Amino acid sequence: MASNRSTREVLLSLVDDMELIAKELIENTIAQKHLKLSSSEHAQLTELLVAKDNELKSTLQLASEQAKINQKMDSLKEEVERQDQDIQQLQRQLKEAEQILATAIYQAKQKLQSISRANKRPVPSEELIKFAHRISASNAVCAPLTWQQGDPRRPYPTDIEMRLGVLGRLSDLPLNGQMIGSHPGIPAELHRAGHPAGEPPVSQANQFAWHPSGEIHMSVGGQGSVAMNTHKQETEDVEVMSTDSSSSSSSDSQ
Amino acid sequence: MMEVVEIAEEAPARSQFTVDDLDIEILPLVYEIIRSVEKDPHDNTQKAKDSQDTSHKILDLQKKLDSARSQIKKLPGIEYSKEEQLQKLETLRRQLKLKRELLLKYRNMCTFDVPKV
Repeated sequence: MASNRSTREVLLSLVDDMELIAKELIENTIAQKHLKLSSSEHAQLTELLVAKDNELKSTLQLASEQAKINQKMDSLKEEVERQDQDIQQLQRQLKEAEQILATAIYQAKQKLQSISRANKRPVPSEELIKFAHRISASNAVCAPLTWQQGDPRRPYPTDIEMRLGVLGRLSDLPLNGQMIGSHPGIPAELHRAGHPAGEPPVSQANQFAWHPSGEIHMSVGGQGSVAMNTHKQETEDVEVMSTDSSSSSSSDSQ
Repeated sequence: MMEVVEIAEEAPARSQFTVDDLDIEILPLVYEIIRSVEKDPHDNTQKAKDSQDTSHKILDLQKKLDSARSQIKKLPGIEYSKEEQLQKLETLRRQLKLKRELLLKYRNMCTFDVPKV
């Protein structure tokens, strides 16, 4: 039996052999007397048939063994498949972890960079405080304690300040180009730190100011604002609230 | 052909077709045929009947051989010779072992040192 032939091929060829031998035997039996094989040949053929049958039986035995091995292989394959899935899952998780760690390392490196930058050029705290003073002097972050209605100083840019800014200038640009020339003088007006409280500059533009409620108020001297809209209920609410806040702030200062 | 059809119908229902399910006894049929041929009755009617019987048996033998072939084709796990099969089994075992080792490696390599505070 050739070892490189599959057991199935061996079995099939055995069946073919047996078919041939059986045919030969039967033909011999029906054949005419003078054509018949000698009895010794006949006996040999019969023995061959029996031998083939035995071989078939033993090969079938082998096949049953192989079936068992096949079962083992199937279970092994299943196991391998499971391990494969485990490995893939693990690899996915590792990949995720790697990504998270890479981001963390990137951020940490950035922080280290900024730390070293800060170490290279340390800023003294006094300078920081001075800078803070300079920022808050123009009421950019907080309204002054003594703020009252009509006071144009606000912790956000007022209408005139917006117009003086780049955005305001952008819309002015196509209309009148000579405005640019007059700009250098205007920033002086932004420095209103020296203005005494309750005495707004008498400028035409400052008479109108936007309140958070979205209504136009006209400031009259220093005596408060007059609502120009006719939404009575709302304006009253706003008035009450603003007076409340001003009274509470005055009580705080005392 | 009867048997072939029967087995073909049976096969899908069963998960595995084993050697024990095989039905390929050929020798008794050959013996039967030879015996019936060698029987030499004198009666003519009996002779005709016998020859008809014999040809029927020869057909049976042919069917049996065909069914044996188709049954052998259904047997599981004989695509390879035993040596090859054992080799493949060994390969699978080795694969499994490698994969298990890889998994273990993956599981054990990720032990992070807890930073000392």
